[in-house]
Amino acid sequence: MVTKEEIMKIAILSKLSVGEDEIDQLTKDMGEIISFADTINQAADVESDFDNINNLSNVLREDEVVPSLEREQILKNAKDSDDGCFMVKNIMK
Amino acid sequence: MSESKIAKLHEGLVQKEFSCKELTEEYIAAIEKDNEALNAYVTVTPETALKTAQQVDEKIAAGEEIALLEGIPMTLKDNISTSGIRTTCCSKILEDYMPIYDATVWDILRKQNAVLLGKTNMDEFAMGSSCENSCFGGAKNPHSLDHVAGGSSGGVASAVGGNIAVYGLGSDTGGSIRQPASFCGIVGMKPTYGAVSRYGLIAYASSLDQIGPITTSVEDTAMVFDAIAQYDAMDSTSQGRKGAPVCDSLKKDIRGMKIGIAKEYFEGVREDVRSSVEEAVKVYESLGAEIVHFELPSLSYALPVYYIIACAEASSNLGRYDGIRYGFKADQYRDVNDMVKKTRSQGFGDEVKRRILLGTYVLSAGYYDAYYKKAQNLRGKIIQDFKRVFEGCDVILAPTVPMTAFENGHAVSDPIETYQTDICTVPVNICGLPAVSVPCGFDGKGLPIGMQLIGNSFDEAKILNAAWQYEQTASPYRAAGFGVAR
Repeated sequence: MVTKEEIMKIAILSKLSVGEDEIDQLTKDMGEIISFADTINQAADVESDFDNINNLSNVLREDEVVPSLEREQILKNAKDSDDGCFMVKNIMK
Repeated sequence: MSESKIAKLHEGLVQKEFSCKELTEEYIAAIEKDNEALNAYVTVTPETALKTAQQVDEKIAAGEEIALLEGIPMTLKDNISTSGIRTTCCSKILEDYMPIYDATVWDILRKQNAVLLGKTNMDEFAMGSSCENSCFGGAKNPHSLDHVAGGSSGGVASAVGGNIAVYGLGSDTGGSIRQPASFCGIVGMKPTYGAVSRYGLIAYASSLDQIGPITTSVEDTAMVFDAIAQYDAMDSTSQGRKGAPVCDSLKKDIRGMKIGIAKEYFEGVREDVRSSVEEAVKVYESLGAEIVHFELPSLSYALPVYYIIACAEASSNLGRYDGIRYGFKADQYRDVNDMVKKTRSQGFGDEVKRRILLGTYVLSAGYYDAYYKKAQNLRGKIIQDFKRVFEGCDVILAPTVPMTAFENGHAVSDPIETYQTDICTVPVNICGLPAVSVPCGFDGKGLPIGMQLIGNSFDEAKILNAAWQYEQTASPYRAAGFGVAR
């Protein structure tokens, strides 16, 4: 059975914050979803060489310089940018 | 019987029975009249549509030949990137996102002067089966406004079923094209993985996602598929269509075609849906097809395998939403880490959060082997089982969904129960196979029932041929009483 502590740990890994008022309901929901996922463990391990579907193989090409997206255009979708860069609060003091 | 709407409108344009401007204005007026009830469109683009219509009219006036899809009013699901037109995935986290490039499918259609009427509703990030996980509220079923259009491509299905678009493109990760097409009484196809480029499709689960058409007839689906199934260097999994255009063999005789039936596909299926599909089996027998019965025991694991793989990939794909480069950004925060956490917590809806959490859980240390690795192992087993089946038959016939459209609000109340309704659609995504849903009846409440024809990889021509033959003989297509009358 999944515990509150496990859900909190997974939330940190997922970069999601879970409020005190949400945790009980979320733990219950996730418990049900995880026990549903767990039903696959009733199946015996099988010989299977699954690698990818429809026999895809790596596509190789010459490394050529081609036009890319404009920096200015890209920055238009950012909430904060300055001098051609994305802006975030300082990470190091 | 349902005829090709695209061919009929194309003919009307070429013969100058009506202009492209008149046709487009009719659809724009129908959207103004009916979209409030259907909630199919989340963004409408009448200016773009009329501008394209004018170009098409000029070409026709100059005596130039026009392509089949040229000037035909259509729509795109709101997870297909359109340069300069808002693309939201129906999520608060992308509420004002403006793509700066076109998805390849839209690039292809735009160059053919397809008339884009607007972008359509969907479950947030394509996660859901009712369209109700949309930040704009769900799209309604044109056959009954008390019922959902289905999901996740509910907006496209509602618009096409309600005739406020001639056709649309959706995406199908676990049934998101076929299930709403079935609920709305129309045709929807999930092509073979790799047949249609995913470049510019905002990713949910990359090894399962595929773009495909939603239309009112099998012939229209074939026409749209032929147009969009092209190799694209921008998608490393792209292969394009293999073989001749599917339209070439659409109307072939199907005498001697082997149609497979697996009893596992009928377990837990509602009685009226089961009997509709069984009636279709009789139609195929009357057309000279041979019915082959077989077993697919690994289907019982398909649903949890799907949810584990889809959520694992989603947890990684959705890691990019951090408030820094695009989309919603939280107002108040202490530092960068806090900003990312608050942005994601306020920007994502509940179902998206549940799937990110499940995906992170099954990939985390200590659980990876028991869930993700095990699911991949069983994925291989399911693929092997389907390969074996296709040694003995040409196509598989199965219900699309075990029931008809849910009442509004029903799907949101019980996530696990709703997951279970994807049982018939997820196996083809796991295996990368093509499948088309076609209408095959109505339930006691007048809600449409759908069945799907599943083919081997790159066998779109075969499933569409079988679907067309059934449609011409027995398909119970009914217009829903909304939208443009023609």
